Amino acid sequence: MTASSGLITTGDAGHAVSEHSPVGGLAHDSRGGISNPDPRMILFICSEVMFFSGLFAAYFSVRASSPHWPPQAPQVPAALAERFNLHGEPWFAAALTLVLITSSFTCQFAVWAIRRDDRTGFIRNIAVTLVLGIVFLIGQLYDYSTIGFGVSDTPFGTTFYTLTGFHGAHVFGGAVMLSVVLYRGLAGQFSSRHHDAIEATSLYWHFVDVVWIALFSTLYIL
Amino acid sequence: MATTTLTPAASAYRSGLYEWLTTTDHKKIGILYLVNSFLFFFIGGIFALLVRSELAQPGLQILHDELLYNQLFTMHGTVMIFLFIIPVLVGFGNYVVPLQIGAPDMAFPRINALSFWMLPLAGILLLMGFLTGGAAQAGWTSYSPLAQDRPLASTGPGQDLWIMALLLIGTSSILGGINFLVTIFKMRAPGMTMFRMPILVWTVLVTSVLVVMATPVLASALIMLFIDRNYGGHFFDPSTGGNAILWQNVFWFYSHPAVYIMVLPAMGMISEILPVFSRKPLFGYKAFVFATAAIGALGFSVWAHHMFTTGSVYLPFFSLMTFLIAVPTGVKMFNWIFTLFRGKLTFSTPLLFALGFLSMFLIGGINGAFSAAVPVDFALQDTYWVVAHLHYVLFGGSVFGVMAGLYYWFPKMTGRRLSETLGKTQFVLMFIGFNMTFFPMHQLGLAGMPRRIADYASNAGWNDLNLLATIGGFVIASSMIPLLWNIFISLRAGEPAGDDPWGANTLEWATSSPPPPYNFDRLPEIRSERPLFDLRHGRNVSH
Amino acid sequence: MSTTPGSRPSSGAIFGWLAAAVVLVALAVLVVLNASSVWNSFFPPEAKSVQGQAIRNLYDVVFAIAVVIFLIVEGLIIWTVLRYRRKPGDDELPPQTHGNNLAEVTWTLIPTVIVIFMFVISMQTLNSVDATSAQPNLKVRAVAGQFQWSFDYLPADAQWDTKELFKVTAPVGADGGLVLPAGQTTHLFLESPDVIHAFYVPQFLFKRDVVPGIHNQFDLDIPASDAGQTYRGQCAELCGVGHRIMLFEVHAVTPADFQAWQQKQLAAANATPPPAPSGAAAGPTIPIVAQNIKFDQSTLTAPASGFTIAYDNRDAGTPHDFAVLDASGKTVFGSKAFTGPAKENVAVPALPAGTYKFECSIHPTLMFGTLTVQ
Repeated sequence: MTASSGLITTGDAGHAVSEHSPVGGLAHDSRGGISNPDPRMILFICSEVMFFSGLFAAYFSVRASSPHWPPQAPQVPAALAERFNLHGEPWFAAALTLVLITSSFTCQFAVWAIRRDDRTGFIRNIAVTLVLGIVFLIGQLYDYSTIGFGVSDTPFGTTFYTLTGFHGAHVFGGAVMLSVVLYRGLAGQFSSRHHDAIEATSLYWHFVDVVWIALFSTLYIL
Repeated sequence: MATTTLTPAASAYRSGLYEWLTTTDHKKIGILYLVNSFLFFFIGGIFALLVRSELAQPGLQILHDELLYNQLFTMHGTVMIFLFIIPVLVGFGNYVVPLQIGAPDMAFPRINALSFWMLPLAGILLLMGFLTGGAAQAGWTSYSPLAQDRPLASTGPGQDLWIMALLLIGTSSILGGINFLVTIFKMRAPGMTMFRMPILVWTVLVTSVLVVMATPVLASALIMLFIDRNYGGHFFDPSTGGNAILWQNVFWFYSHPAVYIMVLPAMGMISEILPVFSRKPLFGYKAFVFATAAIGALGFSVWAHHMFTTGSVYLPFFSLMTFLIAVPTGVKMFNWIFTLFRGKLTFSTPLLFALGFLSMFLIGGINGAFSAAVPVDFALQDTYWVVAHLHYVLFGGSVFGVMAGLYYWFPKMTGRRLSETLGKTQFVLMFIGFNMTFFPMHQLGLAGMPRRIADYASNAGWNDLNLLATIGGFVIASSMIPLLWNIFISLRAGEPAGDDPWGANTLEWATSSPPPPYNFDRLPEIRSERPLFDLRHGRNVSH
Repeated sequence: MSTTPGSRPSSGAIFGWLAAAVVLVALAVLVVLNASSVWNSFFPPEAKSVQGQAIRNLYDVVFAIAVVIFLIVEGLIIWTVLRYRRKPGDDELPPQTHGNNLAEVTWTLIPTVIVIFMFVISMQTLNSVDATSAQPNLKVRAVAGQFQWSFDYLPADAQWDTKELFKVTAPVGADGGLVLPAGQTTHLFLESPDVIHAFYVPQFLFKRDVVPGIHNQFDLDIPASDAGQTYRGQCAELCGVGHRIMLFEVHAVTPADFQAWQQKQLAAANATPPPAPSGAAAGPTIPIVAQNIKFDQSTLTAPASGFTIAYDNRDAGTPHDFAVLDASGKTVFGSKAFTGPAKENVAVPALPAGTYKFECSIHPTLMFGTLTVQ
């Protein structure tokens, strides 16, 4: 006996599943309301927000206690200080931001599609989301290869790579989730009544996007 | 009282090794947590006995320098916190919470199993440090720069293994916290509104919120330290542009809520036991719930009271919040006392340990208030006073609570009763040994003995109290003998417990001992926080 | 249906109560026989600084409140436990009181008032303890390294990083320690070149962390009446394998004695250093390794005509030197310190035959040995 659908007591027996409930489209148990995977993903996202908060707190703390930010000559060699000037060249990162924001839109389109049983629309949008996510990852790696400083180049380098690196790892995790969801979608496992995994994945993907917007603003604009 | 279970046609458990290794049943997983945690309790205890043996007399008798000593107290703290106290309470939560809310299992049984199995693995990883050139030795608090990979600091893989083990344990915790929250919110039996949940469920709920919010911050700190140590990072090492105080802030932001993670479920267990053995309801159920929530919330605002002597902390705020957190704690203390007041007390072993909890936690709370007064903390910080305080709340508090829970729920888990004589023997030995070990540490701290020293000057005046504390440590160790013997003989030939040996109030006692895999055939009607009491006595009893 | 176990005392229970009674009686006897030292053990040592006295006053108030609260609450617990035992055979339920809102309000408000009171008085004490004078009489920088304290005496207008006038490298003993004028204000800067340490003197009821990269500083006022006393201090933040030996002493002296002492130190610091050995290094070369704040050998033998130490300092970022002391403890030779990792040749001039002590003068408690000159 699994517990994934809620209660199994013979007490107040469940009332009939309603198609017209206000959360129509989400799978629900005998009492209505969203079922287990969504609270799980929301709580998981809470924990991830706290994880990134720790990293952001470290970034702001290190930044506040540095005499200059980004570090300048003569504390660091002039060539390195030049590389640290992210404000001067935010264009590539801005393009990546656009890619990720677009992918959030296509992800949401996919969710809306499956909620109204439009499986083709869902597959298409999820595939585009996945492709955009991979483009982001490739772009991030390319950026690393040309940026000219490393993780051990002053606290600036350390915080840059730690923040963007862990974000990239989360994008990778999201890409894996999208692949699984795409595969299962192609295998016909989702319908408007049963697509918890898609709701959860899209919540996660939006979270990853929001973190990137915060990152981009912090590292390239502030 | 009518039984509410049908006699199962076949035996309730497949109990072979394969079953235990692959189970997703919350009851078995709970027992696995308990067994694993007690194993690490003994390992951590042995480290403590080695530390105490060295400190019994001035001079280095057992160890010839501090290298091993620093590893011993570091690993003692780390093992006790992360591999004993936190998981043992998760184990009790795992076993009891679904039963208490009338659910057939946790929301995510397979993640539940995963959460458990990460722990023995993490424990092995952690202890491997001893075999790879030295375990972590910078204290369980692992302050930077001492934790960095530099000469005379923490070279070698021991510290990295420590980081990896804690990351695993943290992940296990977070997954468990999510599991508990979804279970409690989504799987309560019909009729069980939030304010009819047993108090243990409430404390597990608040604890799980703390786990989900605070543990990831520890993860970020650990990862940043790992990057510093292994990838040339510059987070925490001032000699390369980093900030030593940053480590302390991020670390304590988790580790202070962690102490509430370590004590709230134990308080929940006490709150189940006191009403049963006083034959009255818990006094002030709602106040208790609000006090627990207040402690959880305030717990996030006090972390820098561990850093009063760094000169880098906004003292008034953290001192005020630390003082304020005494208020909801006091509310709970009074509610417990007034549960006993005008009751009819039966002094079974669970109640004895619960009473021990009340008195010891009172002392721990009071000596904490001294440290909340910042100038007094200037004298007492990093001395044995703090060691006294933390052990009064974590041992006198949490461990006594765990013992109370063990004696209370053992009959439910195994279908056998534990011997009361052996239980009371354990209580007396443990109570005496505990106070003998830790009360003198107040005096030692006041007299100026710092923490974490392998040895001390023979003319400092600390010799007698150290010897007394060491003897006490061995008395505590001896109290484990009646416990282990009790469990051994009771499992084999203990008196059958029946469904409800204590005359208790909550749903877990409304099914067989042990419960069938699916927990309940039938549930009593739930109209209050004591559904079994209502079933037994009806709702006409005078309130 | 439920059975309540243990309502008849078993032999185990009797044993338990007996054991508890014996322990309590033994404790009571011990306490009564040693009443005053037991009482004093609940308090920090008598404060030997002005700031410490303020802290002690606060402690006394907190202690009094703590005792009262403990007696009331523990008393309530014990009384309740004794008074409300269930009599055997009594199966009737007691009154099922669920709570009392007035009680909840009372025991929320009163503790709140008490803790706010404690907060306010502790902040007042903090302000007086952390206050710094605009014109301290003396400025000293306490340097905490692994695993040794040293003290840099600074000029009157010094900042935290001003070069010292002279340095005291022996943390304890008649010739070392932190010498301070009683009855005057000393301003202490704290500095660490490596990990976090803590400056702690129990008799000042005070400690402050020494954090690399942070400039902690505070005032210290020793009352004039305490001139001539020595107070022990110790590092109070785990700093590695030498943490337990990072001791130091504070010597309080009269201002006049302090002036005299300071003059002597200044003269020694400005004195011309002993003449460097003339000519090429004479005599055999003796290799010695300094690693992890230890020499690799504790006995050396050398000819009276002089010798060379091939000094291999393997402690990164840590300075070491080579000093020779005669039987009376006087330094007869001292080399310049150099920071590792590095190798240097130190030429030791001719010395009369005899037994000497050699040491690293920066880490004399960890790095020392016997030198036999033949």
